[in-house]
Amino acid sequence: MKTNLLKRIFAGFTAAALITACAACGNGNTAQTTTSGTTEAPAATDDSLRKILDAKKLVLGLDASFPPMGFTDENNEIVGFDIDVAQEVCDRMGIELVKQPINWDTKEEDLNLGKIDCIWNGMSINAARAEAMNLSEPYMKNEMIFVVPGSSEVKSMSDLKGRTVGVQTGSTAQEILEASDLYADITVTPLEDNVTLLNQMELGFSDAVFLDSVVAYYFIASNNKDYFVLPGNLEAEEYAIGFRKADQALRDKVQAVLSEMKADGKLAEISNKWFGSDVTTVK
Amino acid sequence: MLEVRNLSKSFDDLTVLKDINFTVDKGEVVAVIGPSGSGKSTLLRCINQLEKAGGGQIDVCGINMMKTNEKGKPVFADAKTLRQIRLKTGLVFQNFNLFPHMTVLRNITEAPAVVLGKPRKEAKERAMELLGKMGLESKADAYPSELSGGQQQRVSIARALALDPEILFFDEPTSALDPELTGEILKVIKELANEGMTMVIVTHEMSFARDVADKVVFMENGVVVEEGTPDHLFGDNASERVKQFLQRFSQH
Amino acid sequence: MTGEQIETLFGLMLEYTIPTLKIFGYTLLYSIPLGMIVALLKMCRFKPVSWITNVYILIMRGTPLLLQLIVAQYSVPYIVKSDICPGFLRDMLGGVDIRSEAYTFNMMLIAFVLNYAAYFAEIFRGGIESIPKGQYEAAVALGFGRIQTFFRIILPQVIRRVLPASSNEIITLVKDTSLASAIPYMEIMYIAKKQVPTYASLLPLFMAGLFYFAFAMVLTLLLSLIEKSLDPMWRRSVKTFGKGIFSRGDA
Repeated sequence: MKTNLLKRIFAGFTAAALITACAACGNGNTAQTTTSGTTEAPAATDDSLRKILDAKKLVLGLDASFPPMGFTDENNEIVGFDIDVAQEVCDRMGIELVKQPINWDTKEEDLNLGKIDCIWNGMSINAARAEAMNLSEPYMKNEMIFVVPGSSEVKSMSDLKGRTVGVQTGSTAQEILEASDLYADITVTPLEDNVTLLNQMELGFSDAVFLDSVVAYYFIASNNKDYFVLPGNLEAEEYAIGFRKADQALRDKVQAVLSEMKADGKLAEISNKWFGSDVTTVK
Repeated sequence: MLEVRNLSKSFDDLTVLKDINFTVDKGEVVAVIGPSGSGKSTLLRCINQLEKAGGGQIDVCGINMMKTNEKGKPVFADAKTLRQIRLKTGLVFQNFNLFPHMTVLRNITEAPAVVLGKPRKEAKERAMELLGKMGLESKADAYPSELSGGQQQRVSIARALALDPEILFFDEPTSALDPELTGEILKVIKELANEGMTMVIVTHEMSFARDVADKVVFMENGVVVEEGTPDHLFGDNASERVKQFLQRFSQH
Repeated sequence: MTGEQIETLFGLMLEYTIPTLKIFGYTLLYSIPLGMIVALLKMCRFKPVSWITNVYILIMRGTPLLLQLIVAQYSVPYIVKSDICPGFLRDMLGGVDIRSEAYTFNMMLIAFVLNYAAYFAEIFRGGIESIPKGQYEAAVALGFGRIQTFFRIILPQVIRRVLPASSNEIITLVKDTSLASAIPYMEIMYIAKKQVPTYASLLPLFMAGLFYFAFAMVLTLLLSLIEKSLDPMWRRSVKTFGKGIFSRGDA
């Protein structure tokens, strides 16, 4: 998924705007204390779970365009593997699930300012996110793989030398690709989203696309595409749910319910529905 | 009818009018002549409230418009009186300044209807009458941009007359016109003079001034240098300065 | 994509033209009068007012509307959280439910209105300043009051002069409403973007393009008609035509 290029620009912009607006009130530092939350220790009395239970709803923030984890269906309903799991978690907690589309570039602000209670949308774990949020245990593995057209001469990763590879801009896939040994021998064309990349590949703009295996398999299965997945992967990454730094009780509760679902087979059932097998890694 | 005493005016450091005195009697036609930058137009603009005079006294139709207090500061009449005075005076501009978005008829009826509250029908009848006098009845529905300069100026005279002013001011009414069109305007002004209209005309048309004016005022550098009958100013007894000016003027 | 899918998609987009029209309509409704006020403030002879107005216009025109939309969304919670927020303001804003749809919509609208008002203000100012001084003087000499002069003499001329430039802004606004999708607010572009991965096809984006195009086309026709109707000579020719009189050849 995308990293936050916009975030830093935004934080600076807001800080500047607010300082200008409040210049008369005196000087102050505004944005730093709120954007990251790194220095905040969990509150002495953590009422995060009680608040959710009192309000009887959990607001789940998502980008809503990441099939099959969380996306928008033909009728504009938000569906997906993450959504099914979250719905079951909320049912077991006796609360309502509210699906709130957000701008993925400003997800940390939405979370920390209380617009949403958690980010749950196939979010890859990385160091920055681990620092900015209170992450759940990883619940799924995702591999970064190469997809080529079915008719391609490219049959393995070593065949990619001298070829053009498409990758989503600002994604973890791009970071991984750029850090790999392969990078020196290939031409990379970055583009806004994976669907466009796959379309471009079909049209011959590129020879392969480097993307999340979860997305690739879902596209191939649901659209009957004649694609070939090259054997092997560059690096595996893991998905987790993001909570506010201070919301330890809420995070632990959701984690406990997930473990319970893993134990009684519900998680496997949902995974089967979307992926044809139990791909979850919850303990 | 109009009395101006010790009028002065300056823009920042530049003195434009100095100690101007002159009077206009009822039915009198006064021509104001003089070189460019002599303050003729500013004088007219002060009397018509387009500029604020810096000192002195102005009375229009027996009503005081402004005077100077003991401290030498100008004191103007209250807004209501100023408005009353404004309606007694009419002003015709060098550039006509017709309203381009209104028909000729509407240009003439708008002020009587809106400012005086005259019924539109009545205002229209009067406007048509004035247009007839200007020989422009057929242009009632035309827009200013469709008229020649001379026609536009005649409309603007009709517009000023529609408010039935007691005194009419002209600020170089023919300066923006082609020479062949000035005649039609001068003819209209002459007719008004014959009807006994009180008028003050700032002009560069010397022969016209001589012809139509009862009194001619010669201004230079913000002061009235000489005033008198046309025969006096355009005759041999005029001061050297006036003679010099007229001589140079006729060479053009 | 199958015909049935296209039909479903079309229906969905048609449904979400209403939010798009809502942004468009409300933005115009508020930004045009506000633009007029801002234009007058900018021309204010009391310099500090004019300066502040200048700064406002500079910021609005000098930063991307997309950023303004995002800043507006986060302004309230950031102000409430900041150390320098005065108590009364915190009390006032603390009660705002930032999760509500009304909040999202209103803050978005504020950003749109403030942005467009700045552009309209500059257009209007240009229009007002282009009216020759003689028009004011003629009005004064004829005894019109300040208000009468503005509304009867100046404004009708200003409207005619600013209409072409304003039409440009209005057409631009049609397309700028799509920036709301980034907040996100559910309108045509949001739907299109979210349906791209769903169908694994770029068709939703093309379809959205057609919607904007159709909207802009209708507006273009409408605006050119308004422009013509404000041309007095065109209006008269229509009237004359209606009466069946062709004889006024000299007019």
